[in-house]
Amino acid sequence: MRRVAKWVVAVPMAILALATIYPLIFTANVAMKTRREYVLDRFSLTESLHWENIATAWNSVGMARYFANSLFVVAASVFLLLWLGSMAGFALSRLPFRGSKALFIGCLAALFIPFQVIMVPLSRVMADTGLIDTYPGLILAYVAQFLPFTVFLMTSYYRSVPREIVDAARIDGNTVYGVYRRIMVPIGRPALLSVGILDALFCWNDVLIALLMMPSADHRTLMVGVTSLRGQYTDNIPTFASGVLIAAVPVLLVYLFLQRQIADGVTAGSTKG
Amino acid sequence: MPTRNTSPAVRPEESGRAVEGGTKRERARHGAARRRGRSERFAPYVLIAPAVLIIVALRLYPLALGVNFSFTGDGDANGTAVGLANYLELLDDPLFQTALANVGLLVLLLPVAVAIPGLLATFIYLKVPGHRFFRSVYFFPAVLSPVIVGAIFNLMLSFDGPLNELLGTIGLGPVDWLGDPGVAKFAVVGVQIWATFGMALVVFLAGFATLDASLLDAARVDGASLRQSIWHVIIPSLSQTIQFVFVTTMIGMLTSMFGLLYVMTSGGPEGSTYLPEYYIWIQQGQMNRPALASAASTVLFLIMLVVGLLQISVLRRAGRED
Repeated sequence: MRRVAKWVVAVPMAILALATIYPLIFTANVAMKTRREYVLDRFSLTESLHWENIATAWNSVGMARYFANSLFVVAASVFLLLWLGSMAGFALSRLPFRGSKALFIGCLAALFIPFQVIMVPLSRVMADTGLIDTYPGLILAYVAQFLPFTVFLMTSYYRSVPREIVDAARIDGNTVYGVYRRIMVPIGRPALLSVGILDALFCWNDVLIALLMMPSADHRTLMVGVTSLRGQYTDNIPTFASGVLIAAVPVLLVYLFLQRQIADGVTAGSTKG
Repeated sequence: MPTRNTSPAVRPEESGRAVEGGTKRERARHGAARRRGRSERFAPYVLIAPAVLIIVALRLYPLALGVNFSFTGDGDANGTAVGLANYLELLDDPLFQTALANVGLLVLLLPVAVAIPGLLATFIYLKVPGHRFFRSVYFFPAVLSPVIVGAIFNLMLSFDGPLNELLGTIGLGPVDWLGDPGVAKFAVVGVQIWATFGMALVVFLAGFATLDASLLDAARVDGASLRQSIWHVIIPSLSQTIQFVFVTTMIGMLTSMFGLLYVMTSGGPEGSTYLPEYYIWIQQGQMNRPALASAASTVLFLIMLVVGLLQISVLRRAGRED
């Protein structure tokens, strides 16, 4: 492409970038306005930062509680996913055993079962085992949902680890479990980080599984809390926007610092699959 | 010469210890290996058991259970076999018909949803001014929850909202983006594309990283236009990536729009924005018709299977012609 042509293309791309980012800036701006300011002119920059909107959403709307619920569920789910996923990935990639290939294919097949297809029977299973509307139930549902993906990526990452490293550690007198703990976990750190961030985003952003597994109000996760804002604050847009902002800021922070790891995780499936 | 004096004095002692320790360690190692041989034969199974148990109990078993459900009745007929009654009821239900028609609409719009990020990735790969910035900005909405995206666009697209005000200043509208049955489904799909094109963009860029740059240079030396380069160099070289993006975008459209629908339209107006996943949710959660919902789930699963296989075979054939 010639130089001039590149600048010509850059103009619509800049407009698209603006269209991508403007809705977020608009929402953040509205969250800092008073109701009166919003009604008079929704586009103008807010005259002063009205943090009390955030405080209202955080305290009286219950976002604080939902935030804590989400944080706990996501942390527990991601911990379990990485633990179980890396153990399974180690076994599938570096330990020869009977049935290993069949198990890997079964795991791949499970990757292609969308939640919508199993949500009715799964909620029946959860109800029968008394796990519905409990934190362990929701955490298990998340682990089950994202485990095939986690196992798949950890397996393909561990396949790139030279066999000699595992063999050498065995000759040095490590048990299989020792090799896992002392070699595979430290060596797998980049993949664990990348997969862990993606798993965390999936769990944090989910609404369908949380709606289904956690019917009672004080068990709501943050995303379910945001959906309930809609009905309550139709006439108080700044408070509504504040609630949305609270839910979006953690993701924004993760994105700003770990954008590359997120992209690595997303593309790992496309180049290896 | 202190070094010479100390080193011989230390060395024999060290080596002696090493030999002695070595034999002991070796003996211990043999013993451990024998014991390990027995207890560790099962180690791979121990490592993989938790993952397998969870996947089987909470994904594969429910899939079988759900297919089984779909042939039983709801309410009074709970648990009794009803044959294909649920599937016949589905086909008669105007809401499910709308949901299927909307799936058709999504399939028609799929090339657009793939071409936009593909073209943008090409420009970013060609290092348009500001390409790093564009990449970061475009990718961000893809990591936001559909709930947040939906809530933001609830604001932007409301009848007295900013977009209509903006259109008003240039003498257009107002458009009832989310209240007009003919418009709402396009509004929701538009938001879905806005929210996810960055994901496909990043996948395309990963594909470009594997592209042989000398091919493009050769094409340029031969005087190929950008369009010719895209058509004859980029698309054939990236066929695998394009295939992957087609399949994942379709899966995304069929399974990750629930949040948007739930927040933006609740399936309305007049049921015009129903998709199978929303239909399943309503039948299970609101209507208490789990068996009917299971039948809809099975249909959705079959649709995804067919669409996925169809796309792969069509793209394979297109690849062969080149």
